Amino acid sequence: MQAGTRLVVNKQVFLDNLSLCMQKMTVIGPQKLRGGEVTFGPLRSLRRLTLDYVNDLDPLKRFFLPQREVLFAYDLSGKKPRLLQPEQEKPRLLFGIRSCDVQGLAHMDGFFQGACYDELYWARRRNTLIISMACNRPNESCFCICCNGGPWLESGFDLQLTDLGEEFLIDIGSRAGRVFLEERPMPAVTASRRHETRRRELMEACDAQMVPTAYLAKACIQITNNRVREELWEEMGSECFSCGGCTHVCPCCTCFDVVDCPEGAKSGTRVRCWDSCQYSGFTREASGHNPRARAKERVKRRFYHKLSYAYIQQDGHPGCVGCGRCITVCEAFGLLDISAVVKRLRRDGQ
Amino acid sequence: MENIYLPDLAVIDRIVDETHDIKTFTLRFASRELRKNFRFKSGQFVEASIFGAGEAPFGFASNPNHPEHFDITVRAAGVVTRAMHALKPGDYMGIRGPLGNHFPLEEVKGQDILIIAGGIGLPPLKSLIDPMLDCRGDFGQFIILYGARTPADRVYKPLLQEWSERGDITLLQTVDTPDAAWSGPVGVVTTLFEKIKLAVDRTVAFTCGPPVMIRFVIQELLAMGFAEERIISTLERYMKCGVGKCGHCAIGHKYICVDGPVFSWRQIKRLPER
Repeated sequence: MQAGTRLVVNKQVFLDNLSLCMQKMTVIGPQKLRGGEVTFGPLRSLRRLTLDYVNDLDPLKRFFLPQREVLFAYDLSGKKPRLLQPEQEKPRLLFGIRSCDVQGLAHMDGFFQGACYDELYWARRRNTLIISMACNRPNESCFCICCNGGPWLESGFDLQLTDLGEEFLIDIGSRAGRVFLEERPMPAVTASRRHETRRRELMEACDAQMVPTAYLAKACIQITNNRVREELWEEMGSECFSCGGCTHVCPCCTCFDVVDCPEGAKSGTRVRCWDSCQYSGFTREASGHNPRARAKERVKRRFYHKLSYAYIQQDGHPGCVGCGRCITVCEAFGLLDISAVVKRLRRDGQ
Repeated sequence: MENIYLPDLAVIDRIVDETHDIKTFTLRFASRELRKNFRFKSGQFVEASIFGAGEAPFGFASNPNHPEHFDITVRAAGVVTRAMHALKPGDYMGIRGPLGNHFPLEEVKGQDILIIAGGIGLPPLKSLIDPMLDCRGDFGQFIILYGARTPADRVYKPLLQEWSERGDITLLQTVDTPDAAWSGPVGVVTTLFEKIKLAVDRTVAFTCGPPVMIRFVIQELLAMGFAEERIISTLERYMKCGVGKCGHCAIGHKYICVDGPVFSWRQIKRLPER
């Protein structure tokens, strides 16, 4: 079995094997809450697992860059401060993550490596097997086809499953994915032309159901060349509630704050927690000076980071995977999510 | 792989009161190994921690030719800096660094040097001036302009006195509001420009200070005919991680903490927000 090979495995057989994994590692997968909402979390059995879902509104980046994370603990009880590093977590398997979130991870991988290598992020990343699930059906807010974010991918996963009904078609994306299959005696056949055709039909049907559009190209040019009227930024700034929702749910947004959390006078932790460039305090200095005191400047900043050529060149892609979460959470309903902004920029066209 | 957010411990050797709200801390690493191997360059900075209060960035304020000790000069302005001001010699701080890029020191040898500092902008420039004066002969004319709000708000007063007594450098100082004892110039730092003579084509200007000062200084330098790459400034932003990850200090796609804090005007003018 090579990376790139496609296999077909009976769905129940695959799920039974997944269930066996739950004893040895933390298996995270989609589960239905009482209200019918689907969220990803640790699974102890197959009972709560659901395959009837589109995606979790809470982005899956949280399993790698948690909303709140201890960087280290300090102990000041001795003569000299003692610093304690966080413990390594158990191996994990992330089952059912959607293509857009896998692309989000690829974005974060690029960001957290390099000269300032973020070991805390990478320890979780190395520790986690990614079994993604290609999308057969989008949400009304999905637009991954505009951002190379899905509905299915060529790489970025260890294994990628396509739900063919009775069977999973499996793409092997890495050595770890291949080893996972080899270590489990699952009767598998190489995907036939019939399977491939079925998958193509499913994917094409999914493509056709995408409603929102985000023609990023023109907005990229306008933002890169600073050819957006200041009045339009001004208008968008006046509509923004600066709630930070768009950045928190974005699989490509990585900004964080660092704060100390004392537990009494002698000990505590330093933690990082998600922050947002949309908050006015994000750039406020101790002197009171604030280069982005106004919502207009912050909205402009957000889209500069998402769509400017300078960032696209640095990251290799725009800062959007088309998951549509900002469409769902934006308080300025329908006005400031990326799809809406791209459309407004284009229509304003300069 | 190491945790890039984990500081090393350093001990405070000395604390000097500079003004009513500014202190200079002389630090050395607790680990002998680190003390032996630690090096930094002019213009770089550290993230200094007070455990329980937090962490904040400070430029090196001492001579990189003597890296066994280093200084940071701190104004009590926020939670972390106020906690620092409560420390005593012998107390510990957490230090991460050196971080960021540095002033071009080797590259400007042979040139005339013009330093323009405002208030607490002098400390990072001191880390450049000190090693330059160690090899004073490698540079031409050497001028330092320093502006502060009041005479009492000036940092490093004994050192300023020492510089003013040196025959081989020119130090001019000005204040916004004089006191009874002040006999020097009054006005913003740019008013000192008319008192000096420069050959702009062989001078490199270094500036650090409040953002509004930097803006006017650069305007004046450009008006005098300085080439864009001969104007070197530091940029300042609210900063958290110091390693290009937290996003706070980004200007355009540049991160002040890793791509800066030192930039030429040629680089600064290309940034989408300034």
